[in-house]
Amino acid sequence: MAASAPPWNGSTGAAGPPRPSLLWAIAIAGCAAAALSVWLAFASDHVAEPGLQAALIDWITLPYILAGLIAWWRRPDSRFGPLMIAAGFAMFLSSLQWANEAVPYTIGLAFDLVPAALFLHVFLAFPSGRLQRRMERVAVAAAYSAAVGLQLVKMLLGGVGTDNLLGVVAEPAAANTVQDVQLIALSALCLAGIALLVARRRGSGRPLRRWVALLVDSFALGLVAIAALLLAGAFELPAFETIRRITFGVIGLAPVAFLIGLLDARLARSAVGDLIVELRADPAPADLRTAFARALRDPSLTLAYWVPQFECWTDLDGRPVELPRPESGRTTTLIDRDGTHVAALLHDRSLDDERELLDAVSAAAEIALENARLHAELRAGLEELRGSRERVIAAGQKERQRLERNLHDGAQQRLIALSLHLRRLEERLRSDPDAREGLDQARREIALSLEELRSVAHGIHPAVVSGHGLAVALESLAASAPVPVRLTVEIEGRLHERLEVAAYYVVSESLANIGKHAQATSATVEVARRNGEIVVEIVDDGVGGADSERGTGLRGLADRVESLDGRLRVWTPRGGGTRVRAEMPCE
Amino acid sequence: MAEDSVLLREGLARVLGDAGFDVVAKCGDAEELMRKVNGHDPDVAIVDIRLPPTHNDEGLRAALEIRADHPSVGVLVLSQYVELGLAMKLLADSAEGVGYLLKDRISDVDEFVAAVRRVAEGGSALDPTIVSTLLARQRSDDPLAKLTPREREVLELMATGSSNQGIADTLVITLRAVEKYVSSIFGKLGLPSTGSESRRVLAVLTFLRS
Repeated sequence: MAASAPPWNGSTGAAGPPRPSLLWAIAIAGCAAAALSVWLAFASDHVAEPGLQAALIDWITLPYILAGLIAWWRRPDSRFGPLMIAAGFAMFLSSLQWANEAVPYTIGLAFDLVPAALFLHVFLAFPSGRLQRRMERVAVAAAYSAAVGLQLVKMLLGGVGTDNLLGVVAEPAAANTVQDVQLIALSALCLAGIALLVARRRGSGRPLRRWVALLVDSFALGLVAIAALLLAGAFELPAFETIRRITFGVIGLAPVAFLIGLLDARLARSAVGDLIVELRADPAPADLRTAFARALRDPSLTLAYWVPQFECWTDLDGRPVELPRPESGRTTTLIDRDGTHVAALLHDRSLDDERELLDAVSAAAEIALENARLHAELRAGLEELRGSRERVIAAGQKERQRLERNLHDGAQQRLIALSLHLRRLEERLRSDPDAREGLDQARREIALSLEELRSVAHGIHPAVVSGHGLAVALESLAASAPVPVRLTVEIEGRLHERLEVAAYYVVSESLANIGKHAQATSATVEVARRNGEIVVEIVDDGVGGADSERGTGLRGLADRVESLDGRLRVWTPRGGGTRVRAEMPCE
Repeated sequence: MAEDSVLLREGLARVLGDAGFDVVAKCGDAEELMRKVNGHDPDVAIVDIRLPPTHNDEGLRAALEIRADHPSVGVLVLSQYVELGLAMKLLADSAEGVGYLLKDRISDVDEFVAAVRRVAEGGSALDPTIVSTLLARQRSDDPLAKLTPREREVLELMATGSSNQGIADTLVITLRAVEKYVSSIFGKLGLPSTGSESRRVLAVLTFLRS
């Protein structure tokens, strides 16, 4: 058994995995950058507490680069990894402003706020590395312009430091204003980012996997911290340095949460063992969904089974299921055996990183999945059978209705017209008593034929039910019943014709049975609508004890009622009368 | 007259024409029927209960509409089947100028023509099948048991809408005798005497149905 992604999943990125040499080169560059910022801090003539400052920078640089490398390696088609790596290096570049020389200092200064925009970009782009919505793209673009554009303007105005090579004019007041605008704008964008994260989480409507939830929370927390830091800078709060340390600490948490998620995934392998134990239980759980959701730590997971007979996917009850399209944020993992599909796991996209876990779980549940598939196949077959029985009965009824109409509108009308014709002949032959006698005889024959025809037509289909509804039709049934009948019909308006005809047959067959077997003195017929069901109940006070072999009538009735998703029950205790009750859903 | 089978429509028109009726309009569906009734204000409209397009209850609905909008127009409904429920619906609260007959009855031309005339004159005509269903109905304490066979016959004819004269002719007895039977029946069934012949149809039907 092998788990594989369906074909469309592979085509989203088209990027191959990065070459290991590239990943190693980036890792080495990252370490070198971290070391360089430590050296810059200690060599700097304008950095207080160099050890702490270097540690804060590297606390962000190193985890972001490391987590980015792992993410890139695991999911080459996602841009999330490269983005994290970029954020790590941007953090390093901003530390260049510790340099004593003018060129690196200017570069560092230019990159001072770029990390803030990059973090917003990283957090909003999780997990695909792409900004999915317009609002997100607008927010990130605005953040970049504020972080880069306004920074350059500020530097041109010469507002910052003596080593600033970009200073063209010296307008410290204007530079200050630009800086305030820049910081407040960036912090507002961070707060907007939080709102977007919350909206997205609400909008997904599905429970998030635990570590994904943890990660998104760490993103939100990071944005709160950045916003606070920027505001503290803009308003020159005395606690600025403390807030800065806390913020850097919090930003560094996001890659740590990411790495914990990966570690958690490794630990989850032990869940496979639990799954095997759970599936061994006797009887095996019929619904594997819960067990799978637990083993894969994805509460949103659902299962679909392949039914080759109808070439479709169904749930455990045999009802057809559509596999999600890739753009839905859900992924489908197909589980095959001997070249044919067995089941499909519909799960959160973040599980794509854990292909080995998916494989392990699929392999562990091999037999159970095959059993569940057979169960689903059986149910799908039953479902189909039920549908076809309904169609057969409906087709039969339609055909009977057509026959009845043909008899009435064809044969009956012609016979009546013929009778009128004979009558006119009779009048013309006033002088010939023999001929008149013959014609009269013929007319009586026609009258008899008409009567027979009417009774045959009624037996084929009770036209009055289709034409005028159940209440009207039952009136005659009750009046011509073999015992006194008390009839109660509590139904407003018309029901679906199939229901009315079925109810009519239930009453007519039951009343006929009472006449044949029950030795009853009276009966009640009640038809009512209760809780979305039509309830038809016929009760007599006869001898009861009716054997179920009482003709094919009851069996035929049960078929008719069951084909409408209803049920027919008969209570017939010896000496205690008989109660026939049909319940059919009418919504 | 509304009847969607051309064969029957023409046959019927000829029979009624021979009997001295003036057939002012013939049509094949309910909509046209309503227009013709509005235009001609006839004495009686003869309506097939199944009319196009669905052949379900268009005819019945048209008949009820005529009854409501044109109380002076008698309505005779012809049907392939007679149903007690439909009869009660059609009569509602008055049996005046209303008839409900099996289509088969047309072939007994004299009876049929008499029924049309009765309805046109504001009387009633109910198919004997309905009445016999009601009379044959099983009852736990049957008040009909108290009636003599002759009284039963009179009751049956009375319920179909026959006038006293009609009953006398059918049973070949005197009008006086009929009147005696009628008051005896009303006495035995505990019904108040109603006078009008069509009003007593409803009284008897309601009694039999309960």
